[in-house]
Amino acid sequence: MASITLSNVRKSYGTTHVIHGIDLTVHDGEFVVIVGPSGCGKSTLLRLVAGLEEITEGTVEIGGRVVNHLEPKDRDIAMVFQNYALYPHMSVRQNMAYGLKMRKMSKADIEKRVNWAAGVLQLSDLLDRRPGQLSGGQRQRVAMGRAMVRSPAAFLFDEPLSNLDAKLRVQMRLEIKRLQQELRTTSLYVTHDQVEAMTMADRLVVMNAGVAEQVGTPMEIYERPRTVFVAGFIGSPNMNFLPARLRGGMLELGQGLLVECPNAPAGTDGRDVTLGIRPEHLVVAKQGEPADIQFVVHMVEPLGAETLVHGRFNSVETNVALRLHGTPNVWRDAHLPLRLPPDALHLFDPASGVRLTE
Amino acid sequence: MRPATASTSNALTFTSLRLPSLETLAAWLLALIWIFPLLYAFWAAFHPPAFMVTFDLTAPLTLSNIIDAWTQAPFARYYLNTFALVTGVVLAQFVVCTLAGFAFARFPIPGKNLLFMLVLIQLFVFPEVLIVENYRIASELGLIDTLTGVGLPYVASAFGIFLLRQTFKTIPRELEDAARIEGCGWMAILWKVYVPLAKPTYLAYGLVSISHHWNNFLWPLVVTNSVESRPLTVGLGVFSAPETGVNWATVSAATLLSIAPLLVAFLLFQRQFVQSFLRSGIR
Repeated sequence: MASITLSNVRKSYGTTHVIHGIDLTVHDGEFVVIVGPSGCGKSTLLRLVAGLEEITEGTVEIGGRVVNHLEPKDRDIAMVFQNYALYPHMSVRQNMAYGLKMRKMSKADIEKRVNWAAGVLQLSDLLDRRPGQLSGGQRQRVAMGRAMVRSPAAFLFDEPLSNLDAKLRVQMRLEIKRLQQELRTTSLYVTHDQVEAMTMADRLVVMNAGVAEQVGTPMEIYERPRTVFVAGFIGSPNMNFLPARLRGGMLELGQGLLVECPNAPAGTDGRDVTLGIRPEHLVVAKQGEPADIQFVVHMVEPLGAETLVHGRFNSVETNVALRLHGTPNVWRDAHLPLRLPPDALHLFDPASGVRLTE
Repeated sequence: MRPATASTSNALTFTSLRLPSLETLAAWLLALIWIFPLLYAFWAAFHPPAFMVTFDLTAPLTLSNIIDAWTQAPFARYYLNTFALVTGVVLAQFVVCTLAGFAFARFPIPGKNLLFMLVLIQLFVFPEVLIVENYRIASELGLIDTLTGVGLPYVASAFGIFLLRQTFKTIPRELEDAARIEGCGWMAILWKVYVPLAKPTYLAYGLVSISHHWNNFLWPLVVTNSVESRPLTVGLGVFSAPETGVNWATVSAATLLSIAPLLVAFLLFQRQFVQSFLRSGIR
């Protein structure tokens, strides 16, 4: 049981800066997910915590102890890799026992722990197989088992589900989350998949270009994204972004198209802004209800439970997506009257991308 | 290349007539030319000297040539020498090439690529060119007429370093990371992760190296003077030197004696032998 604290962690390779000062605390027993596009530095950050890369600046503490100069083996962590990194020449049992053997644990204790982990992960019948004889999901479970038997202070996961097919990924996602809740082991989990991030995390770190753009619970981040990047990265389909201008409590979209915007922050009158609105927050006005805006349909994608509708606002040259429940009767070139609920409007500074609304 | 394409088209028409193609015939011819000396050695070794050039299938078989050869020269000692030499060289090569290959594959050494190029250049130098220089060094080290002296020049094999470096490079780095987290130092990672996973390469390289050093002749001839250090090949060379008068029956018997272990090994590991030569050739 331990917390992980990163203070102003930086990493450079020569003159290339990869991580630009990250501050983050993972509390004891917490499951924190780092999410971001490929190349944003999230895996590097995890490797810094693991000790597989050297920290250029700042400190990493695990369980209140600065570990900057400790070898990975002395940091009391276990890591699960994307390609599982199981030793192909060892059986499942040997793979799980290896770390314990290196720590000179007694044979009886090793046996007990491996059997316990195998039981929890339903691997008991596979202990004498080689990794090559296992399916992807089973290998993933062995990798989990290898981490579990050590009872480390923290688990580090580096995109552990990326090599699985979609169905298995959903299943393993639940399994890892369930395990973590049972074991209450502090966990840091890296992924590029925002659904994985949203569903698994107690707290989420959204990373972009070596910077932590926002840290918060998944719902905080979904409801109040701090930057345009976060707003666009979290949520599927992506948030719609439109250029707009604030004018006397109204938003002007394109030529003379005005929308009420009661939550515009003070002192922003006359400013150019970026309006963000999620596809699921655009509502079709019911018969007799006043509409804020007209929407022209270009394409309809029915998914069964919901329907994605692509098109444009009247007189605005930006593509907008809508997400409607069920399979409403919508067709190409139809005009839909839409309402824009005021509390669903996110305003961002067009230059810096930072959120303006409360 | 044109004759080859011509023969291919011939082959097509011939196979439709169910006749062996030109390639098959050529392959058989080459194989016969290749195996003929061996067949003759077998013939000469097991027949009385009178039948050296008379190929009569009813000729009586005899083991006396073999016995003659065995008693006329200290073959037992030569066997021991060759065996010790080959084992020593291959083991030393494994150690040196593993460490060097691992360093070249995984360690961030400044100027690593240049160093590796220098090692590879060794592949372009014929060992025979270096005989004089090697002799000078061996003599300075006091290794003339010792088995160490015979084996030492071959220990740092560029070929082995190259082969193992390539193999180590294909092993996923995550395995190394996982091992580091679990508490392995560099030596343990090498020994527990890299070496076991490179087993096929060790087998291939070992077979190539064993056959090469078993057959090696010129350098051992130069550096050895006595029965105590002479390997089989040199022993055989001394044995069949023309000045002692050539008795083909005994020479053939002695030749068979020298190559027998390798021949048996080849028959046992035929598939691995061919594969390893192919693989090491391609890489």
